[in-house]
Formats: sequence, C-alpha cells, structure tokens
Amino acid sequence: MQNVCESSPMRFEGTDRYYLNSELREIVNIAIAMGKPLLLTGEAGTGKTQLAFEIARALNLRMEEARCKSTFKGEELCYVYDTVLRLNDSRFGSGDTGRDVNNIWDYIRFGPIGRAFTCEDRRVLLLDEIDKTDSDTQDNLLDVLEDGAFIIREINHKIRAKQRPIIIITSNAKRELSDPFLRRCFCHYIPFPGPEEMVKIVRLHYPDIPEAFLHASLETFYRLREEGFEKPPATAELLDWIGAMRAGGVRGPGAGKDVAHIGTLLKRTQDILKFKGIRKALRF
Amino acid sequence: MIDFIYGLMRAGIPVSVHYILEFYRGLRAGIAPDLDRLFLFARLVFVKKVEHYDAFEQVFRHVFLGDPSVDPEDWEALLTGKPFQEWLRRQVESGRLPLEALREFDNEELLERFWRTVMAQDGEHHGGNTWVGTGGRSPFGHSGRHGGGIRVYGESLHGTAQKVIGARRYIQYSDETPLRSENLRQVLSTLKSLRPVGPENELDVDTTIYRTAKNGGEIELVFQRELRNRVELIVLVDNGGYSMVPYVDLVKTVFNKIRDCFRDVRFYYFHNCIYGTVYADPQRRQPVSWEKLLASGKKTRLIIIGDANMAPAELMASYGSIDPATAIRKPGFVWLRELREAFPVSVWLNPIPRDHWPWNSPTIGRIGDIFHMEDLTLGGIKNATAYLNIQGQGVDQAA
Repeated sequence: MQNVCESSPMRFEGTDRYYLNSELREIVNIAIAMGKPLLLTGEAGTGKTQLAFEIARALNLRMEEARCKSTFKGEELCYVYDTVLRLNDSRFGSGDTGRDVNNIWDYIRFGPIGRAFTCEDRRVLLLDEIDKTDSDTQDNLLDVLEDGAFIIREINHKIRAKQRPIIIITSNAKRELSDPFLRRCFCHYIPFPGPEEMVKIVRLHYPDIPEAFLHASLETFYRLREEGFEKPPATAELLDWIGAMRAGGVRGPGAGKDVAHIGTLLKRTQDILKFKGIRKALRF
Repeated sequence: MIDFIYGLMRAGIPVSVHYILEFYRGLRAGIAPDLDRLFLFARLVFVKKVEHYDAFEQVFRHVFLGDPSVDPEDWEALLTGKPFQEWLRRQVESGRLPLEALREFDNEELLERFWRTVMAQDGEHHGGNTWVGTGGRSPFGHSGRHGGGIRVYGESLHGTAQKVIGARRYIQYSDETPLRSENLRQVLSTLKSLRPVGPENELDVDTTIYRTAKNGGEIELVFQRELRNRVELIVLVDNGGYSMVPYVDLVKTVFNKIRDCFRDVRFYYFHNCIYGTVYADPQRRQPVSWEKLLASGKKTRLIIIGDANMAPAELMASYGSIDPATAIRKPGFVWLRELREAFPVSVWLNPIPRDHWPWNSPTIGRIGDIFHMEDLTLGGIKNATAYLNIQGQGVDQAA
C-alpha cells in the first residue's frame, strides 16, 4: 500500500508564525490528499481563518479569499456579469477603456471561485464565515466546488477548474449549516487550546517573554475563562492583554480582582462589572 | 468494521454508504497508516457535528482500541474482509448477482451494495439468518498481525487517538448535555435557524425596464428591498420553582443574544402554572392581561420554559393556584389549553431531563399532552426549533 501522506508533494507542516498541533496538521493533510473541502468550526480566536493563509504560505500557493456576506447568492463568488456597466457603455460609449460593448467577456468579472478555477496554478480557496450566507447559497456553492465547474448563465459557457483548489471553509456557527452541506465537507471542530499549547502560541508572538510572567498571565487567563462571562476572553484578547501589560511596563498580571488592563480581556460592560464584583440589579 | 458502523448508527450518528466508500477510498490510498491517523480520518469522514464527537470517540475506542485483532497495517481488510467475501459468495450462489456482473462492477460498486445491505439491517439482527452477520468475536480473522499489537503509543502521532479519547474533550457539546455556558454557542446557532433570511437588495428588473423606457432610454435603476421574514417571539419563564434556578440566567442570556434575529423578543414570567395572568417583571408585580397575550398568538412563536412539576391540584383543580389568596376558579390546564390554542406555534422546554419525566411528576405528562415538550439539552432545543419551524410553516402558509 502506497503511502500518500508521505509521498505527496503537497504536505503541510505548519509555519514559523503559526502554532499547529499535530492533530490539525494531519487533518489538513488528509483533506488535501482526499481533495475534500475542509470545514473548520470553533470558537473565535482559534485561528480558523489564519490556517488557510498559513497553508497557502507553507505550500507556496496563492490565495483566493471570499469573505461571505448574508446577501451572497453564491454566483457572485464565481462571476459577476456587470449589466449596468454594459448598459451604460452601450448608452454613452465605452470611451478609451478598451471595453467592447459587443463582447460580453469584457463585462464578466470572475469572483474568487472563478479566479481559482481559471488560473493555471493550484490555489488555496478560503470561504470565510460561510454561515453568514443562507443555506441555498451554501448548497449552490458546494455543487460548484464538487463539480469543479460552473456555468456562466448569460452565454451558457461552462468554466472548468484547471486545477482543483485546496478549499478551506470557516464557520462561526452563527447559524446551523445544512446537513447536505456538512455531508460534502470534512468537518473539524478546533477546540480551544489548552495551557501547554497556549504557551507555544504566546511565545510565537512574544518570544522574549519571561517564563514566570507568562505562566502567571495564563493562570489568570484560564481562571477568567472559567468564570462564565458572557464573552469569555479568547486568544486574541490574551495576546492583546500581554501586549498591553508589556507596553505599560507592568511587572505581573496581578491577582484576584486586581488584574492589570482588564479592559483588554473583558469586552462587555456586564462582564467587567461582574468581574469587579458589582452585580447590576439585573435579576430574574 | 461492521461493529464500528453499527456502533455509530446506534450512537445516533448518521452514516451513509457514501461515507463508507469515501472511507474505503481513503484507506486504499493509504491515508491512515496508523491508528491515530485512522482515528482522525474516520472522524473527518463520519462525523460532521461537534455534538457527535464524544459519541464517536466512545464508539471508536470500543471497537478499535479494545480489540487486539485490529491491525493498523491492513485496514483494507476491514472493509473488504471476510464478511464481504462471504456476502459476495452468497450473492453469486443465490443468483442475485450474476457472475458476469461481477466482472462489470468494480470493487467500489460491489462494496456499495454490500454496505447498503449491512445498513439496511438495523444492527440488532446479528447472527440471525440475515446476509451479513458479525458472527463470532473476530469476524475479520486475519492472522498476519505484526507482533506487539497495535501502534498507539510512541512512534506515531504521540498517541493522539488515545489521548484525545481519554480526555473526552467534547462531552459538553454532546446532544444530551444540558444547557451550560460552555455550549451556549451551539444553542444560539440552533435558535438562529428559527428565522429565514434572504438577501436584502434586488434589482427590480420590470420597474427598471419600465422606467428606462419612460425616460426615453435613459437608464434608471430601481432597487427593491427584499422582504425579510422576521418572527416575533414570546418566552414565558417559570421563575418560581427551584429546579429552574440554575437555568434562569442562562435562558435569559440565550434569548437576549438572539434578540436581533427577531423583530421582537418578550419575556413574561409565571409561577408553576398559568392562571390567566403572566407578568412582565421577574418579581411578578406587573400583570399582563390574558387577552393582550393571546391576541398576538397567530404571528408569534411561543416558548415556555418551566419544569411543569407541580402538585396535581395546581394543574387540575379549581382555585388550584399555589397562591392561597387566589380567586380564580378555572383550573390551570384549561388556561394552558387556551394558551396552546391561541399560539399555534409553541413549544415547552423542560429543564428536567427527559428520562426523569415519568418519575418526577404526573403533571409533566398532562402538560406534555397540551404542549409539545422537549428537555433543555442541546438535542432538545434542536428538536424544539425544528418543531417550531414545521408548525410555523403551516401557519404562515395558511395566513
């Protein structure tokens, strides 16, 4: 039995800027080897989006990035036919823009999926926050991605992928994704990193941080996470906080209710008040 | 392997033949050379929701970590092993599968047929006169085990599978877990699917053409705002009984967070049972009139959160209220029935786990006859949401 993982030229090993645990690394490699879209879910600040950028960087591929909006219908990610511009050109002339009103191709612009399909090299295609779109859009998109082809309806022209892109999809679980959609992806839930992993993550950003300082900070950080705030602090908050403490020349993270720069960790007024022990009269 | 698939099905994880074939293709391509990668690969293929991670890990451990006859070097044999060969032989012998078909079908097609057969059996008929039985303890019977058992520790991925499974990291996301602050996100995303959303802007082609023609060819673009179906929601909370105490804050947080998804979310309170009045404040001092509440029924979704656990008299008897000074004759269940009729789209969420309902109080069953009842777990909330959506569709269409 031939071993694809070892022999495949596309093997993702992580980069110096991004901490990657072995589990996630294998999952990325399995998805690449199987040619399936990889759907990443998990709390904010677990590095879902960043992972796609790091894959592109590590494999030396170019990125196509689609940040989803609730108004997307899916097609605009493949191509946009600019009717309004063409109407305008036909009415007022295209001037010296070089566009030919009689040539529809001058008015078709490819979106991220279109570009990933039409380009010569293999690309990493990121569909960020897919859950913002509605479920019909998601199904349409997956049809396109699975077939590796889409049709430009206006001229009934089929665009085929020259190279299947590596597809990374992220979701913040704002809304449930449909079952057919999930069925077509490899899904992975990125758990929140534990203290040992967090040490490595922080060190990537602040390599010269003193050991004792780091451990004291993490202790406070995880304690706060446990306390059940409405918006528990995540990795981004931790990094901001450590950055703020270092910039402010604070010697230690403080203890108990005396945490320095608490505003960088807790964002909601309610949470800060709760932390300080002032419970607003908001009882049931 | 059959055990594994049945295990997944029994654990409530949806499995399709499609997954199994994909799994087979991956194994054939050598995706999973050791147990750890097999674990990750199987999870990617079979498990699509974090709610199922815990159940998957338990099944995986049971099937693969407990059985020394499983050989990580020879995974292919798991899928095309003895039960498959046996089935194939019987298919040919019985004439269900003509020999020439064998040559035409490739492996995958045969495998697909085999697994369809396996899955058509619901997993309870082992060893009967069915086509596929797991028979004895070691159905796969290959003896070429590489001495020393399976590689879990050390040389591979630092024992990911073992470590991961031991920790049960995903238990708080399991469908049977009660509502807690850790799994709020899951609940929120479920509840958000309560409303359909569409894109907001659309080019109104007809009007655009009409206006452009009127302008003598001068283009005028007309956009229209697509209608958004935003539902109203009323949440009735029992803030009396002590079984509600751990949930009151959570419930409130949950529904406040999704407030922007609805045109309006209102909270009303009651104690134990409803007798014609609910209250706008938690202290139950500002009554909301029954007529006003019922009037909004048709276009509003109603979620009642309460333990439905009370003295039978509180529900069934006249003057039954827990408040001794009550002057209300109509018994609680009549009021509840009125409420149910006024709100065609409504559901009851109960913080008491479903298994305990029959033992906890007879009133739970009685109220369950009036309102569709789910428990306050991730799975329960999901069911409740699905139920509301189905009911809502019917009502919206009729309107």
